[in-house]
Amino acid sequence: MTTHEGVGINVTVNGESRDAIIDVRETLVDFIRVDLGLTGTHVGCRTGDCGACTVTVDGEVVKSCLALGVSADKAEIRTIEGFAESSEHLSIIQTAFWEEFGFQCGYCLPGMLFCTEELLKKNPDPSEAEIREAIDGNLCRCTGYHGIIRAVRRAAEETSQAQREKDELRDEEVWARPGERVDRALRGRESES
Amino acid sequence: MVYIDDIRLPNMHFAGILRSPHPHARIVSIDLTRARRAEGVEFALTGAEAAEHTDPIPHFISPLAFGGKSTDVRCLALGKVVYAGEPVAAVVADSRQNAEAAIELIDVEYEPLPFVIDGDEALAADAPRLYEDWDDNVVIQIPFGGGDPAAAFADAEHVIEDELQIQRYSTQPIEPRGYIADWDKSARSYTFYGASQNPHPLKWVLSRALRVKESQVRVIAPAVGGAFGLKMHGHPEESLVCLLSRLSGKPVKWIEDRSETLLIGAREQTHRFKVGFNSQGKISALKDHFVANVGALGAPPGWGMAFLTGMSIPTGYKIENVDVLVTVATTNKSPWNAARGYGKEATNLVMERIIDLVARSLDMDPVEVRRRNLIESHEFPYKTTGGLNIDSGDYHAALDKAVEMIGLDDVRAEQMRLLQEGRHLGVGFAFELTPESGDIPGTLVGGFDTSTVKMSPSGEVTVLTGVTTPGGGNDTSILQIVVDELGVTMADASILQGDTLTTPYGFGNYSGRSMVTGGNAAYLAACDIRVKLVEVASRILETDNTDVELGGGFARRISDPSRSIPIADVAYTIYTLAFATATGVEPPLESTRTYLPGNIQQTPDADGRINIYPTYSNAVHVAIVEVDIETGKVDLQRYGVVHDCGTIINPRFVEGQMEGAIAMGVGAALMEHSIHDPETGVLTTNGFKSYLMPRASDLPMIETMHQVTPSPYTALGLKGAGEAGIGGAQAAVSNAVHNALAPLDITIRKMPLSPGTVLHAIKYREKELKK
Repeated sequence: MTTHEGVGINVTVNGESRDAIIDVRETLVDFIRVDLGLTGTHVGCRTGDCGACTVTVDGEVVKSCLALGVSADKAEIRTIEGFAESSEHLSIIQTAFWEEFGFQCGYCLPGMLFCTEELLKKNPDPSEAEIREAIDGNLCRCTGYHGIIRAVRRAAEETSQAQREKDELRDEEVWARPGERVDRALRGRESES
Repeated sequence: MVYIDDIRLPNMHFAGILRSPHPHARIVSIDLTRARRAEGVEFALTGAEAAEHTDPIPHFISPLAFGGKSTDVRCLALGKVVYAGEPVAAVVADSRQNAEAAIELIDVEYEPLPFVIDGDEALAADAPRLYEDWDDNVVIQIPFGGGDPAAAFADAEHVIEDELQIQRYSTQPIEPRGYIADWDKSARSYTFYGASQNPHPLKWVLSRALRVKESQVRVIAPAVGGAFGLKMHGHPEESLVCLLSRLSGKPVKWIEDRSETLLIGAREQTHRFKVGFNSQGKISALKDHFVANVGALGAPPGWGMAFLTGMSIPTGYKIENVDVLVTVATTNKSPWNAARGYGKEATNLVMERIIDLVARSLDMDPVEVRRRNLIESHEFPYKTTGGLNIDSGDYHAALDKAVEMIGLDDVRAEQMRLLQEGRHLGVGFAFELTPESGDIPGTLVGGFDTSTVKMSPSGEVTVLTGVTTPGGGNDTSILQIVVDELGVTMADASILQGDTLTTPYGFGNYSGRSMVTGGNAAYLAACDIRVKLVEVASRILETDNTDVELGGGFARRISDPSRSIPIADVAYTIYTLAFATATGVEPPLESTRTYLPGNIQQTPDADGRINIYPTYSNAVHVAIVEVDIETGKVDLQRYGVVHDCGTIINPRFVEGQMEGAIAMGVGAALMEHSIHDPETGVLTTNGFKSYLMPRASDLPMIETMHQVTPSPYTALGLKGAGEAGIGGAQAAVSNAVHNALAPLDITIRKMPLSPGTVLHAIKYREKELKK
């Protein structure tokens, strides 16, 4: 790429520090997609209306077509490639979208996942109306949002369930001897299978 | 998922396209000097230069094939422009930013000409003409119908005449179009990557436009981020990027901007209709003369939508005396492309509004009027006056289910109660007929398709098919059919679509056809392989071949399931013991089959009618809305649909298709509208802040119920899913809004029913009532 007035920046992307020299005219989404090669972030309108380019910058959900790449200097960026804790396993939210057919063509999916994550952080038990409001900035043209709403509800339920299990385990840690805890965990796994 | 914009080739460059700011103008001169000197620019091209190297783009559906008029459409305008947004010149630069900056430096001198953007005005004798060699602005005028409408109208107890203007609106998938062309100088061939629904027919189009053989073009369609008709071909940019690659010597990418996607139009029609009926609500006569404003004539299949609107009248209603006249008008708006529903959505909207107008004039229940006019289940196959031979269905049962689903009596009671409080609740029904899997004679819109199924010595299954997926899940569903037939697991099977070098020739994705054609073809091919597997398995298991079943990755005796063998071992035997155990079973495990559905009639009957559709999905929609009469805002509160697409392979995918289509139909009913400035002829709704599409808060959950009446004309009884929902939703919502406004006796004749339009109608009516 021609470095039309190239400027050096440093960003942390999905936990990894990256240095780059970028064209000052370049938007953040182009920086992410073209310079960093992270093509899971999509472009649908370049006017901030569709949400296909949603990422987080310093923990906040951002439409990356509305920011310039240079503005992300020293920021921490998370893209869909860094959404799950590991590349082996989908997160609870991703699994819920998979199970509930919360996408068809997949183009709007990364943005929907980030909006869901943000919603559930603030509101672990959202109503249908609250879910609709939370994803209102993101357009989907395939699903009529039907599967997405179901997926967010499921993600909310399963996140709470996971949290409850974590809490129970913590309670048990106080009372149970280490050996017993392992036994119980194993028993739990057997009863699942 | 790799979408077109995710693909990067070594040394890839970027195209920038300069578009006309005028709706109609002569190009006096183009000067590329400044653009060629701009930063990063490798190459620049005018229309006159492009014409030296290319031929006109073949029309996807040529109007000439139906007795209409045509015109040459080129990748860059030659001599004059006929719409604002028409490509005029192009550059190739080393970055998108540099390409976009460089097109600003192209100097074009235009001589503006008088223009017309209104369909009716374009038909006037003194209207500005788009194409100087035409004697008017009419692409084609086609009649449909039958019986004796004049006599039936003379005999009718009641006659209503009215008008409905359907707005211009389009599909707008979230992924815009995009193409990459890579000219290989030594092999003298193009590799074309494109978000395309129809790679094989596109290969033919590119070869014609670029003056090369088909064998010199390979089209690869990567994952598509939604298509809905928009990614059918004929767009000027397809051959343009190829030419730019050849002339610049670089791989060239072009990704559309949303303002460019929004240029592509569809669906604008003005219907003037007349309906004759008796006091029992039985309709005896129908006249509908309508004008479709298709903009400038493009090479994509857009204009054909109007043709099918006319052919599909009167949908699933038994009306014997019909007079339809379709007039396709060109104007200085940008061209249409296909849009999900392909014209049949307009037919459904108009028919369903007509039914409600009849009901209202007789003060009858609109459900009852539908019941009295719909084709009855024992009357199939039923030939309509338009020539459609409707295969099967039970429309009355679907209607009853929809009434029950929504709890109609309770809804009407609630409606009465709220009206006492001055609140306007409305309930609207719509029957929807969706002819699917079409075949247009003499065009590469084929009614059949082809799939290959292969099993390797290790038992892996590969399906290659001529149909493509726009993201709706037909790939998974086709695999499911094959996997079920061969008794293997999904983990052992994969599917390849969209590459003209590897897949069998096929027509791609349109008309809800992918499962009907590609799915059935894959089924037939899988059956061939199954026969071989069962034969050899029976020899290994020492039993009769009628005693063998396949499932879960194993072949086993039905009589003694403990005797089994992995299917992979059977496959290995066929490849390795062809002269012993597998003798007489011809290897390889590979079959290519084509599925041609029944019921398509390409040769006209005695009345000149053809039947281009094998199967007919149908649905009954019901919407409940509240209209705020102070603001005109429509709140869609509940939505139910009873859907019949014959046999269902995967209910979740079918529901997903329906839910998405309903959302589009709701958008069409309430907000989506491409508007051109009448003063300048330029599109003003050029982004998602002005072209409004439904967001999550605009919609309720969609309640879906399936009814299954298998088609007698397709192997698995499939009828096709994907297009149904647009017209049904548009009509149900529109009928619900009119039902809510019934106390004011309002008829709105312009779509969409945006707050401004509804409020205007209410205020106008209030003024009328005061007089």
